[in-house]
Amino acid sequence: MLKIDRRIIFLVIGLCTLLPLLYPVGLPIKISSEVRGVYNHIESLPERSVFFMSFDFDPASKPELHPQAIALLRHAFRKNLRVVTMTLWVTGTGLADQIVTQVAKEMGKENGKDYVFLGWSPGNTAVIINLGQNLYNTFPSDYGGKPTKGLPVLDGVQSLKDVTYMVSLGAGNPGVEAWYVFGKDKYKFEMGGGCTGVMAPGLYPLLRSGQINGLIGGLRGAAEYESLIDQKGKAVAGMDAQSATHVAIIILVIICNLFYFSMRRAARQQSG
Amino acid sequence: MIFLRRQLPLLITMITGLLFAGQYYVPHPASEQLLTSATKWLQIVGGFALVLGVTSLFHQHAAKIRRKEEGWGYSLVLYAGMLGTIAVGLWANGKESVEGAATAFGWVYSYMLVPLQGTMFAILAFFIASAAYRSFRARSREAAVLLIAAVIVMMGRVPLGEYLIPLSGDVSQWILNVLNASVRRAILIGVSLGAVALSFKIIFGVERSYLGGGKE
Repeated sequence: MLKIDRRIIFLVIGLCTLLPLLYPVGLPIKISSEVRGVYNHIESLPERSVFFMSFDFDPASKPELHPQAIALLRHAFRKNLRVVTMTLWVTGTGLADQIVTQVAKEMGKENGKDYVFLGWSPGNTAVIINLGQNLYNTFPSDYGGKPTKGLPVLDGVQSLKDVTYMVSLGAGNPGVEAWYVFGKDKYKFEMGGGCTGVMAPGLYPLLRSGQINGLIGGLRGAAEYESLIDQKGKAVAGMDAQSATHVAIIILVIICNLFYFSMRRAARQQSG
Repeated sequence: MIFLRRQLPLLITMITGLLFAGQYYVPHPASEQLLTSATKWLQIVGGFALVLGVTSLFHQHAAKIRRKEEGWGYSLVLYAGMLGTIAVGLWANGKESVEGAATAFGWVYSYMLVPLQGTMFAILAFFIASAAYRSFRARSREAAVLLIAAVIVMMGRVPLGEYLIPLSGDVSQWILNVLNASVRRAILIGVSLGAVALSFKIIFGVERSYLGGGKE
């Protein structure tokens, strides 16, 4: 049994993912203080405040970070904030553009007036420092090629120092940590973060010390945010599948350990 | 020649290292302007590094194809993929969409890169489950502690786990907030101190491996 055919395990995991997606149960999702931290801060911002979002991920992390981005943008647009977006990951440019365009269209927002997508620029963390010095030097034009100077959405914004709140959705480096080290620490803006589930434990020291005021971790975090803004989407739908796979893996680990201990006991009895 | 290969790079490293370490603490406009110029240069160098990286990759795989080394077919696929993407990228002016309509480059991105990367990471769930079954065993006391902590966190992070064991959510939060955060912080402090020490070694020319080991 310890050497079970791995295709059986693959089948179990496949069914645990597929069945809850086809037949959702909809178990209640408890909201954590980390996710509430980001939500409450956005909720407290006055209208037309500058909300800066960096989509620091690529399609590999789409299942976890795409729903986070959608939920955050819906919340920001609903609060009538000025939304400035960009990415530090070149392979995330298309995805970020799709997300921003889709949510802005859904919420009836106008490009250049209510939001702007700056796109990508080479230099990784140097881009953050440059943005802190001068936004217009770093991005002379937006993703669509329009000059950034004179855009109503950037009215009164010279650099990161003029940003009211910033959230980095990161799937690695550069991501949340880089935005804190090269951005918030020097240019003093309030900051929250979003990341994949596997990265979240690594960002808890930043959270506990108040260096970031909230953290949306993985699909669970996205589902919590969707529940908070009362617009349930892909993350809430995916939580049942994640629940089933987590429980399946735990059961598999317990079974494996039971067999392991019974075999060890049998071996001891034989030798004794 | 030794001066150009050794002393000059060491001198540049030392001067710029000390200058920009000090710049952080000087909020004078001239100091800020210096940082702006330097980071702008960094961005420009970053752009060239990208070209250099792509050229090097082409070179490496061209040699593999020429020598018909094992797996040269994959290099051919890489060539076709890269040249094809560069061609449509240049044609579309590097834009995935223009006024909401997808370009050919956008099509490659949405229907090739997105599903390929998604598939790569989706299969991880299957391999993790299989690996967990095979290797996650309580062979020692330490392994047993790790196993129990992992099970609690896995239960506490999903609604079904919290429904079955209501306490798992709070215990999982405590593990993440207290045990995990303190250990991570200790690691971070250690790594940061190491980085500071390494920076000093590079600035003062003690650590010179970045200069390369070529002939003098």
